[in-house]
Amino acid sequence: MHIDLNSAFATTEQQAHPSLRGKPMGVTNRISKYCCVIAASYEAKALGIKVGMRLDEARAIYPDFIILETDPPKYHFMYKKLAEIMKSYSPNIQMKSIDEGIIDFHGTREVINTRSLEDIGLEIKSRLKTEVGSWMRVNIGVGPNRFLAKTAAGLHKPDGLDIISHKNLKETYAGMKLTDLTGIGTHFEARLNANGIFTPLEFLDTSGDVLKRLVFHSIIGNDWYQRLRGYEVDDRETKLGNVGRQFVLDKRTDKNEELLPRFQYLCETTGKKLRYNNVDARGVLVWANFQSGDSWYQRKMFKTAFYTDAEVYRRALYLFNQRPGQIVTAMGITLYQLTPSNRSQASLFETINKEEWLTVAIDEINERYGTFMIHAANSLKGKKIVKQKIPFGGTKYFELLLGRA
Amino acid sequence: MEPFEKINERVEVITVHRVGVDPSVAVFPAKMKYKGREVLFTELGLRHPTLKGKRMVHVFDVSDGSNDFRLEYDAERLTWTLIEILPGHYRGA
Repeated sequence: MHIDLNSAFATTEQQAHPSLRGKPMGVTNRISKYCCVIAASYEAKALGIKVGMRLDEARAIYPDFIILETDPPKYHFMYKKLAEIMKSYSPNIQMKSIDEGIIDFHGTREVINTRSLEDIGLEIKSRLKTEVGSWMRVNIGVGPNRFLAKTAAGLHKPDGLDIISHKNLKETYAGMKLTDLTGIGTHFEARLNANGIFTPLEFLDTSGDVLKRLVFHSIIGNDWYQRLRGYEVDDRETKLGNVGRQFVLDKRTDKNEELLPRFQYLCETTGKKLRYNNVDARGVLVWANFQSGDSWYQRKMFKTAFYTDAEVYRRALYLFNQRPGQIVTAMGITLYQLTPSNRSQASLFETINKEEWLTVAIDEINERYGTFMIHAANSLKGKKIVKQKIPFGGTKYFELLLGRA
Repeated sequence: MEPFEKINERVEVITVHRVGVDPSVAVFPAKMKYKGREVLFTELGLRHPTLKGKRMVHVFDVSDGSNDFRLEYDAERLTWTLIEILPGHYRGA
């Protein structure tokens, strides 16, 4: 069963603020001249206001479009509430993002697995309304695998409950375009078209061999053959490849006294993500976008692994200082080449041990009294300006970075 | 551009503790006294907890039928604070 809150942030704000219900409104990270809509209410979407639009573009469509800043603790509560409701049906749940998740009913107790999934879906909808609020709407899809469950959840937004089974599989595909399928964007669509496949039904009818050899040139073709038919291929865990953060500047500038506090804050939060995952990094990539429209990046792999905030900042700053002297509009840092940490082994060098002890002590204090209770002095300004963004993908850092002092 | 009117003042609140409903909606701030005026709330929009350091603060988003109010209850200090008001007539500016 796939559960999707869809327009989650906007819906949550409308639940919290009755005066916003039924109105075109949206949410942004920080209200400014350059801000973008990161979530739009159904009413706004019906007018053509899309996620990613700038505020001025949205107001050109509808001048009374209301924009609010994000309120992460509110969405975190909603996320936890949704997860709690889902877990009451099965221990096997996976939150795909802050506003959608999957319940796997395999191996559940008899009191659950003898009930119809349609009944359970209706009950979940009802519980969201009674346990959170009457404005909450959720899309639910049921299918034999994650892909078809998500496809079903997208069929009748904003308050749908749909089931895809072998009985209606072809009928469902008949009503869809290729790009309606999760995972098929314009790039894959072009590849499919180049091989004479123009509809989901034609996709379904294509052999696994053709998909592997001619369309996708890899085992992905086999995966698609299985996936389209309802076999599960998407329950694999992915390895952590990198961690990072980025920031769209509140004040476009080329001055280090404005840029570096914000940059250092990004480095500190990235360091926390590293330690949260119990990994060390060897690679650093920093990038910047400029007002001229140019982009720049620099990357370096270091001989020794690192994990402390100070080391992340020192190495990232070394690269960042090599940027062109242009006005910056956005910047970011990514750490890669991650390896499991061996911090439990004491080093022969006392300076390295002291650095580890200091990092552990700071992390413990921050965990107890609030993330960033203790931080580098230079990042103070950055801490006040760089808000914790809502994670659109995985949510595992949400609680870590939400515990702000 | 900011739709909310920031207040951040301590206020007096009378709450109703409801029985037979989900805990998330069991506590309802029914009435508030602000600047000598009584405000009767008609709907609880959302209640959610948040941490300020180790202190638990409960945020109540409520409505009087016209305007929306954000109240915070500090569970350690046992105080109510009116944080902000969203006027019901607000239109994007």
